[in-house]
Amino acid sequence: MSPVIAVRPHRQVWTEQIMGTVVSIHAVTRTGAPERGATEAAAAFAALREVDRVFSTYRADSDISRLRRGECAVASLDPRVAEVAAACTAWEAATAGRFSADWRGWFDPTGFVKGWAVESAARAHLAPLLADDDVVAVGINAGGDLQLFTAPGADWVWRVGIADPTRPGVVLATVDVVDGAVATSGLAERGAHIVDPRSGAPARGVASASVIADGLAAADVWATSAVVAGMDELAWIQDAGTRTGILIGDDGRVRRWIRSTEVSVVGADPDLATIA
Amino acid sequence: MKKIIYSILATLSGLVLLFSYRTSLGEEISPVPADVAAPAAESTPTPTDQGTGGTSGTTRGSGLVDGTYAGQSVRTRFGPVQVSLTVSGGAISAVDVVQYPDTNSRDRQINERAIPQLVSETLDAQSADIHMVSGATYTSEGYLQSLQSAIDQAQS
Repeated sequence: MSPVIAVRPHRQVWTEQIMGTVVSIHAVTRTGAPERGATEAAAAFAALREVDRVFSTYRADSDISRLRRGECAVASLDPRVAEVAAACTAWEAATAGRFSADWRGWFDPTGFVKGWAVESAARAHLAPLLADDDVVAVGINAGGDLQLFTAPGADWVWRVGIADPTRPGVVLATVDVVDGAVATSGLAERGAHIVDPRSGAPARGVASASVIADGLAAADVWATSAVVAGMDELAWIQDAGTRTGILIGDDGRVRRWIRSTEVSVVGADPDLATIA
Repeated sequence: MKKIIYSILATLSGLVLLFSYRTSLGEEISPVPADVAAPAAESTPTPTDQGTGGTSGTTRGSGLVDGTYAGQSVRTRFGPVQVSLTVSGGAISAVDVVQYPDTNSRDRQINERAIPQLVSETLDAQSADIHMVSGATYTSEGYLQSLQSAIDQAQS
């Protein structure tokens, strides 16, 4: 009989600069098992570079730039442009205008494309890795936005740190995710870069909004929309279908929710029969 | 009247648990009624006096009296859960989880915690094993200074 030895799963990491940020892919495999995932990670990176080639507003030769200059119609561009445009229209309605691809006066779907592209690439290239018995979990982090997978029955939970928006390198909160997406929007690094499309004014009050949902496309849009909505407007969680999330205010105020209910943990005193 | 409040509280405790926990096997966990729960390691909670917790207030059409109500601590296989309700203007205005199961190492492995836990609320988070960091988009330069960069480099 061989002794039982507690072992940590083995983790591999690949990183690449894409879309103006750094994308990290992690594959967790059983200890002692052969390493897996290099091919799949490369395929996911390639898919993201390809999306960037079509949608980047920084590249003069991208489909989006050509569309902006009026050189061609949507119908003659990559078919994903029309797909993204339709999705953005639907999200603008779902968020009551807090998210819009037309906030600059021209079609700029950047706020949607990253989450959508990362989710798509992760589902197409990374999730299939779980069919391998040696793979415990696989996940991708694209500039702070995550799509995470865990093999059914695996003894693994992704522990996700939510960055403190005011103190670089410090984690303010943690959330555990088995399968799902985490997106955070805020003013932390790039300054006041989220504009309320309805007024054209910069969003104020929310330093950081993190949303956990099944997919990153939705999580990312709702996180952006939450920043625009502000600290005092949380009614949108009623219909958003998010799992949970956290708002961190400029003033340090925190609001959290589960599904459509706001939750505040006020303490763990076992004798709280009379708190009124 | 009180009965209404407490039945809502019991339901909420159950809901919190449903949303809180999913085992890594994908099994949906239903709340376990207190009277059939297996004996917990914790001392048996004393029954909460159902008459306490309410404050006097104005009754509105809903039949709910304004005030804050603490639910009974509901025992579950993960530990006790207690929820409080605030009624304002005859409507439920807030739901607070006042007690939720301690996360021991085993629970941490098999459960998905429901809501983001503030580091200040947990004793161990500073040294917690963080796998990924979510934050507002960093630039390629910003990444180099980021915690995610350190995690990426610390291959296990």
